[in-house]
Amino acid sequence: MAGELLKLDDLKMYFHTRDGVVKAVDGVSYTLNPGETLGVVGESGSGKSVTALTMMRLVPMPPGKIEGGEVLFKGESLLTMKEEQVRDIRGNRIAMIFQDPMTSLNPVYRIGHQIAEPLMVHKGMSKAQAHERAVELLEMVGIPNAADRAGDYPHQFSGGMRQRAMIAMALSCDPDVLIADEPTTALDVTIQAQILELMQALQKRTGTAIIMITHDLGVVADMANNILVMYAGRPVEFGTTDQVFYQPRHPYTWGLMDSLPTQNLTEKSALHPIKGQPPSLLHVPTGCSFHPRCPYAKDVCGTMDPPLVDLGGGHLSACLFSGDPGFERRVVEYAEVPE
Amino acid sequence: MLRYILRRIMQFIPVFFGVTLLLFLITTILPGDPVALRAGEKKLPPAVYAEMRHAYGLDKPWYAQYVDYLGKLSKGDLGTSIASGRKVVDIFKETYPYTLRLALAAIVLEILVGIGAGLVSAIKQYTIWDTLVTLSTSILVALPVFWLGIVLQYIFGIQLNILPISGASSARFTAFAHLILPAITLASVSTAYAARIMRSQLLEVQSQDYVRTAYAKGLSPSRVLWGHEMKNALIPVVTFIGLDLGAMLSGAILTETIFNWPGVGFTIYRAIGARDFPVVFGGVTLVLLAVLFVNLLVDVSYAFLDPRIRYGAANEG
Repeated sequence: MAGELLKLDDLKMYFHTRDGVVKAVDGVSYTLNPGETLGVVGESGSGKSVTALTMMRLVPMPPGKIEGGEVLFKGESLLTMKEEQVRDIRGNRIAMIFQDPMTSLNPVYRIGHQIAEPLMVHKGMSKAQAHERAVELLEMVGIPNAADRAGDYPHQFSGGMRQRAMIAMALSCDPDVLIADEPTTALDVTIQAQILELMQALQKRTGTAIIMITHDLGVVADMANNILVMYAGRPVEFGTTDQVFYQPRHPYTWGLMDSLPTQNLTEKSALHPIKGQPPSLLHVPTGCSFHPRCPYAKDVCGTMDPPLVDLGGGHLSACLFSGDPGFERRVVEYAEVPE
Repeated sequence: MLRYILRRIMQFIPVFFGVTLLLFLITTILPGDPVALRAGEKKLPPAVYAEMRHAYGLDKPWYAQYVDYLGKLSKGDLGTSIASGRKVVDIFKETYPYTLRLALAAIVLEILVGIGAGLVSAIKQYTIWDTLVTLSTSILVALPVFWLGIVLQYIFGIQLNILPISGASSARFTAFAHLILPAITLASVSTAYAARIMRSQLLEVQSQDYVRTAYAKGLSPSRVLWGHEMKNALIPVVTFIGLDLGAMLSGAILTETIFNWPGVGFTIYRAIGARDFPVVFGGVTLVLLAVLFVNLLVDVSYAFLDPRIRYGAANEG
């Protein structure tokens, strides 16, 4: 299929709470082509998940409200289409898997039934057909004895198996886009690698585009074609994986890299995590929202809003100094940030 | 599962002995004398009095009476009423159906109104309907049952004069009319609780991850509600209503007394007043068995409602 599959254009979604307006998604744009993988990276509370939920129209409104922007799926606006039409797309053309496989499956239904459900709803399959297909899907995601295990309840599955079942459920209708929201965060490290491998293998087979949401740059470096780094509801850096991972230009991305363990980790080159927490989205700092935690910040960062600038080749960065030739990543100590 | 049920039935034994022993102990410290009470104002000649006490075994110490009671019970005999001279078994054969009828009517009300109101309240959270349900259930929970019964009698029986306020009937239509006010009275507090549990459970379930998964699959809101949310939210409600049914089978003493309902509770209440101990013991024994049985039923049904609960060995049930 040619052309853009999914396009977000300056999407803004704010929560109107009693305490004020929470700008959860504040001007996010990206384009996803068929079969591509986009990595969306950022700390907890940076708006990665909410962006995905917003475009799927799964955010309760109110308190949420779309404040602007557009989401186009195959050229059609997901934001203005009727609820019934979006429902036809959910789980069918765009499927999601979530962070915690322990709580994302309904405890009172058998695994097989939960995988068969989208097939019955979207593909009009009979119960028997859908069940048969569910067993095939379980086999495909590597569950041994799939025919028997389809009759199990979620609590009889281990964490890794549940996430495999979630993947089988998401891929049941052969979707164009798979949104994976921190699919490995709740799993053991060895299981994490297995799940990521499985997703890559299935992507090769089915040609599904993947949006991989994670706080771990390492996870997407292997998989993604493009990477979007988010902070406080906004995109701060975007580019190809080569650009963002190997030539990052935004201090926040540098910070995320400093937080990654490396193989030659010694006492001298210990981890340098970014101290503090992302700002409360109720009180986003003026100027660049990262400046209170940024070791490279200058006075101007507290007053001037940095625009997302193209550094060349589609590599975007929202830092006033990203374009300066002398502005380089160095070994830094991250200062404690007052809460 | 079978082993679990057997184990539970074994546990009935200590409960049974505990309750009946306690009951016998209480009667020894209770003032009043069934034989004297039966005679009324007149004073019995000492010889007659002594003979009657002997006939009912009241001259024996309480533990001997207890052994007598157990011996008769093992043969299915609950003894003879001191006040009326009738077989205790016959008395309860007559009264238990009335208690059963009242309990079932109240449970149906509880299920329909309680679950319905809780459902509406949760789905229409923060609307006028939610406020209405929350407010009315708060009031109902706080109202004493006897007060509600008397007020209903006054409004529907005396002022409007459309419903009978006392006794029961066996004719089809009037039987139903007689049932309405006692059933509402008996169901009131539990219905309010059922509605509140339903509401809070549904709201809690709605914020669960698997509900988000269900929406992300593209299911319609009604399919999510009836398929994914209700099946989880109903588990505690069913438990509550089940246990409540057990309580109702023990005869609602207050409700049955206010409405002169000829059920088990009313019978036991009158027997206590007359110190008619065989009737009290027999009634309590039957009630005890009914409650134990219903509780077991609730626990077993739990395993069918919630697959995470499996009694006994793994992979069983």
